[in-house]
Amino acid sequence: MENRRKALKFILAAGTLVAIAPLATGRDFFYRKETQELPRQKIANLKELSEPGSYVNFVYPKTGDQKIDSDPFRQFILIKTKDNKLRAFSRVCVHLWCLPSYFPQRGELICPCHGSVYREEDGVGIEGPVLYQTYPTNALPMVELEVEESTGDVYAVGIDGILGYGRNWRDRTPDSMVKRV
Amino acid sequence: MSDRPKTLRDLGESLYKWVVDRLERTPFLSFKFTIPQQYLSPYGYLGTLTTVTFIVLGISGAFLMFYYRPDVELAWLSVKEIEEEVPFGFIMRNLHYHASNLMVLLAVAHLYYQYFSGRYKIKNEVLWVTGILLGILTVLEAYTGYDLILNQRALLAINIGTGLTFAAPVIGPSVAPILIGGGLFDLIVRFYALHVFIIPMIMLVLMAFHIPRFLVLDIPIVLVLVGGIFVAGGMFPVHLGLRFDPSLPEITVPEWYLTAIYAFIRTGTERFFSGALLPLLFTIMFLIIPFVDKSRKLGWRDRPFFTALGISSIILIIFTTLWGFYVDFSQPTPFEQLYIEPTIFYGSITALTLLGFFITYRFITKPSPPRRPTPAKPFVLSSKGLLVATTVVFALMVLTTLLAFQTYFANMQNVSMFNMGMSLILFGLLLHLYRHGISRVAKQPSTTQQPEVKA
Repeated sequence: MENRRKALKFILAAGTLVAIAPLATGRDFFYRKETQELPRQKIANLKELSEPGSYVNFVYPKTGDQKIDSDPFRQFILIKTKDNKLRAFSRVCVHLWCLPSYFPQRGELICPCHGSVYREEDGVGIEGPVLYQTYPTNALPMVELEVEESTGDVYAVGIDGILGYGRNWRDRTPDSMVKRV
Repeated sequence: MSDRPKTLRDLGESLYKWVVDRLERTPFLSFKFTIPQQYLSPYGYLGTLTTVTFIVLGISGAFLMFYYRPDVELAWLSVKEIEEEVPFGFIMRNLHYHASNLMVLLAVAHLYYQYFSGRYKIKNEVLWVTGILLGILTVLEAYTGYDLILNQRALLAINIGTGLTFAAPVIGPSVAPILIGGGLFDLIVRFYALHVFIIPMIMLVLMAFHIPRFLVLDIPIVLVLVGGIFVAGGMFPVHLGLRFDPSLPEITVPEWYLTAIYAFIRTGTERFFSGALLPLLFTIMFLIIPFVDKSRKLGWRDRPFFTALGISSIILIIFTTLWGFYVDFSQPTPFEQLYIEPTIFYGSITALTLLGFFITYRFITKPSPPRRPTPAKPFVLSSKGLLVATTVVFALMVLTTLLAFQTYFANMQNVSMFNMGMSLILFGLLLHLYRHGISRVAKQPSTTQQPEVKA
């Protein structure tokens, strides 16, 4: 009798799990597909970035919908630094979400609202309010890039860090964000 | 409690006891909540089932708000996006739609069960009146809900609804502009506010006055019900409909709970009289029933007049609902296709309801031979049968669950929804078999444990 009781209870517990399990797919409802699986998207050609200090603003991931594409969280900047390196950053300041712009002479991104300054090498904050934020919330998220050697096309393939929040910049070197294919 | 060392289970039990003790400060423990140990006919707790459906609607509706845009340009497109782009969106939308149909259906069934069993008496007048008001609000909630899609059908309903409001004497011209505002761009936001906040809040307040202190909730039936919503959603997905286009003449009929009123409006008689006053009189008839039927008798056989009245009201509802759906496509113009000849319409509904009334009345008052109730033999499964049945049901559950996953990832959301529903229904069956088996196991005297106290 005791065994039968146990068997019944076991089947009931297993049945509860089996019945609820497919409803767990409902978690997908809460995420936007294109922000979960980031696409490989052409953002520029190296010809546009021939001079050190040149830059291109781009939208990623781009949908073609004006309203969505103008969202701050989709605004990025691709920079050719003074040292002739490719870098791509989120343009959302990790302090209070204004949009910093690039100043080629200084080699820095400077936020118009409260004056946070980020260095072009790795997007780490070096001045202003962002300096008082603790690691890892003191660096701009970066875009992972692929450069096609044959054509010179630059592709965005992913994002390192959390937009408007920060990036674990001690874990990955900025050079590792750029792959040549 | 034994003096064993504390296990996780003991900890859980003491935590549970601690929480229940503290709940005494809240009103929750004043409700007598019964979870029946055996199958119980659901007629007695159709109200609880309606509430469960209301909760399903609340949850799915709240999540749909994540993607829906109450904007005249974007509303239809955002519903299309939920249906076609958003993962699980198809399931969420169909869950909401079919639950809304079920809620209207359950509310009507609840109304008539309580009506025929005379429950509006015995100090239940407040429960009855709030129940009728809740029923009206349920239909209004469903009505504002399907208007939010802004397809052709929604515009038909909006047109009729605002038109009826305008036609209302005295208050109409000042109330209707509150709904319309400056045009459709305002109306859609206002209907949205009504649908997601104002009407549900009024319903919650009324529910506080409608909820009895003794509640029954049968979990297997609830699972079958919720599973049934999923199955219906998978089998009969709701159509998105054509986007509203002011240059397209399209003949549509409203949702089934409004076609009865639509039939009245299609007769072309004065709009307010046919579309609002007559339904209002019908509702008022139900509202005043407890104050008219003063007898102390509860059974339907003992109240032939009111039983016959109830039956003829059902006939009226079914007949007008079906007529509202009927469109005569052999006629040349849309107007003629929809037009219903008022003399025929009013003549036949009057004749049918009167006929229904008198036939029912004669049928009930005629003395029937006393029926000897045959004692129902309780159906008991043998232990082997129970084991086989449980295993089969469990195996089917595993199968439907796997199918649900497989079809979901193959992007066949409708098939997946169907299988999720089947799994839930089977789980209800499993739960029922479980309580059947546990009560049998507990009844055996040969157990070494203390005999359980059973009523």
